[in-house]
Amino acid sequence: MTQNKAVEIKNLSFGYHHHSIISNVNVDFYRNQFTVILGRNGSGKSTLLRLMAGLLPHCQGEIKINAVSIQKSFNAVKEAKIGFLAQKHKAVFPFTVEEVVLTGRAAFINWLPGKEDRKITLDSLERIGIMHLKNRIYTELSGGEQQLVMIARLLAGQPEILLLDEPISHLDYNNQIHFIHLIKELIKEGLTIIAILHDPNLAFLAGDRFVFIHNQMVQSYEGHEPWTAPLVKEIFHDNLTFIPHGDKVVFIPSLQ
Amino acid sequence: MTRKKLTYLIFLLPIPVIVASLFVGPAGNSSFISFFRWFFMADETINSEMLTNILLQVRMPRILLVFITGGILAVSGAALQAIFRNPLVDPYVLGLSSGAAFGAALGLWLAVIPVQLSAFVFALAAVGLSYYMARKNKQISIVSLILAGIITNGIFTALLTIIQIMSDPFKLQSIVHWTMGNFHNANWDRLQMAILPMLAGLVILFVMRWKLNVIALGDEEAASAGLNPGRLKLWILTGATLAGSAAVAVSGIIGLYGLIVPHVVRMIFGVDNQRTLIINFLVGGTFLTLIDNISRTLAGFEIPIGVFTMLIGAPFFIWLLKKSNVGWEH
Repeated sequence: MTQNKAVEIKNLSFGYHHHSIISNVNVDFYRNQFTVILGRNGSGKSTLLRLMAGLLPHCQGEIKINAVSIQKSFNAVKEAKIGFLAQKHKAVFPFTVEEVVLTGRAAFINWLPGKEDRKITLDSLERIGIMHLKNRIYTELSGGEQQLVMIARLLAGQPEILLLDEPISHLDYNNQIHFIHLIKELIKEGLTIIAILHDPNLAFLAGDRFVFIHNQMVQSYEGHEPWTAPLVKEIFHDNLTFIPHGDKVVFIPSLQ
Repeated sequence: MTRKKLTYLIFLLPIPVIVASLFVGPAGNSSFISFFRWFFMADETINSEMLTNILLQVRMPRILLVFITGGILAVSGAALQAIFRNPLVDPYVLGLSSGAAFGAALGLWLAVIPVQLSAFVFALAAVGLSYYMARKNKQISIVSLILAGIITNGIFTALLTIIQIMSDPFKLQSIVHWTMGNFHNANWDRLQMAILPMLAGLVILFVMRWKLNVIALGDEEAASAGLNPGRLKLWILTGATLAGSAAVAVSGIIGLYGLIVPHVVRMIFGVDNQRTLIINFLVGGTFLTLIDNISRTLAGFEIPIGVFTMLIGAPFFIWLLKKSNVGWEH
């Protein structure tokens, strides 16, 4: 089974100034699956993702990516083939889309980008289906288009694992659904995707595996399990109405 | 004109501008006509020794110094704008200019250490101080760096005032003249003294020029693309500060120039630093040379070049401020 694990986390703890954010986390993420991380604001979801992306140094415990334990200073893109998408991104300068996507190659470029880097840039634009945006100014695009550009930028680093921190929180509903479709496409192409989502219904409809983080507890479920999990009510709301939908279940809050 | 044609123009313009500027100046017998008559018509009435002296010993080093200084201000301005992610930052933002002004004043006042050396050292020290103050938990946030720059500027301006109060009127005049930018006592020695740190800084910035694009997108974006944003910023700051300190030490303070040139270049040629850094250097050099020609000839005395750039630059800056969205949101 070990070969199927893209990321293994053992006894992981992290905090700032004696304030513990996550403690003693044990969880595995499986290859070629879409894993959704769910939890309330401030529960440590982003921290967990950042630790996996090598953006934060972990103090205790172990993170293994592709069965290799990662060190304090490792190059996530180059050594672990990880692509990380931050929650918010605000560009100031009017770079073209092509220039933005090219920066995704930074880990492989010593001084100046070469022909190969430019080719990979175009390939990832093609792969996301946004070749037509190539020469557009990034800052003038809509939120949905900008997010696609950022995904193309991640793909330019040729990752095997994508870590997405609330990738659809700033998108309209239509774009959210489009984005989920894109994720499913990338899973079909062989990628492993771990994303933080806030909409439980979208998450349960699309995800293969679900990781709940609540009160420093981490639990993971697969397939149909989450609906019976007591954590669902605890995290989202205690007054929910469950509605069967095909072989799955969605739920709505009971508002009074 | 297309962007491509303009680029050719930018690359071709420096040589004729530099050559033409050789014949601009207050000395009446050094015009192009005199040169032409002496060189091509062997006119005996022309004092050839004085002519070549003015052209090669006085004007040539000055023009080269002006050109390189203008280029450095533009290049380091562009680089700092990229790492600060703000198009309204100039090379003096971290206290470089007030450090240099204090250093120069100290040199002029004490008259035991070379003025340029003192200005250079204090310019470096000022930026170092800002960097040190802004560093927290091994991280450098942009806002704390800007605030540290303001404090550094305040400290050195206060120290400068003390020296100004204690100086006699004659020295005070040279201090004031220095702070508004002066090229009037440029010579080959001065150029030779400054050229090494200038080139070292420029080389650092030029080899890093594509990475400016990465850091301009944000620390987080740079880090997730596999670069170390802290180390990258330190290198860029080092390059910009080395070249900028050497330039300010030999030229004085040329206000707003390093803010405006990168902005204009960006409006015309786009934001890709890989392409535009060299354009910044050439445009910065060419235009400062032209402005210096005006400052040399407009009045009977030499108007400090910093007065010009400040007065031309200020309205432009206000216009930029009103029109562009330059808030720091992270």
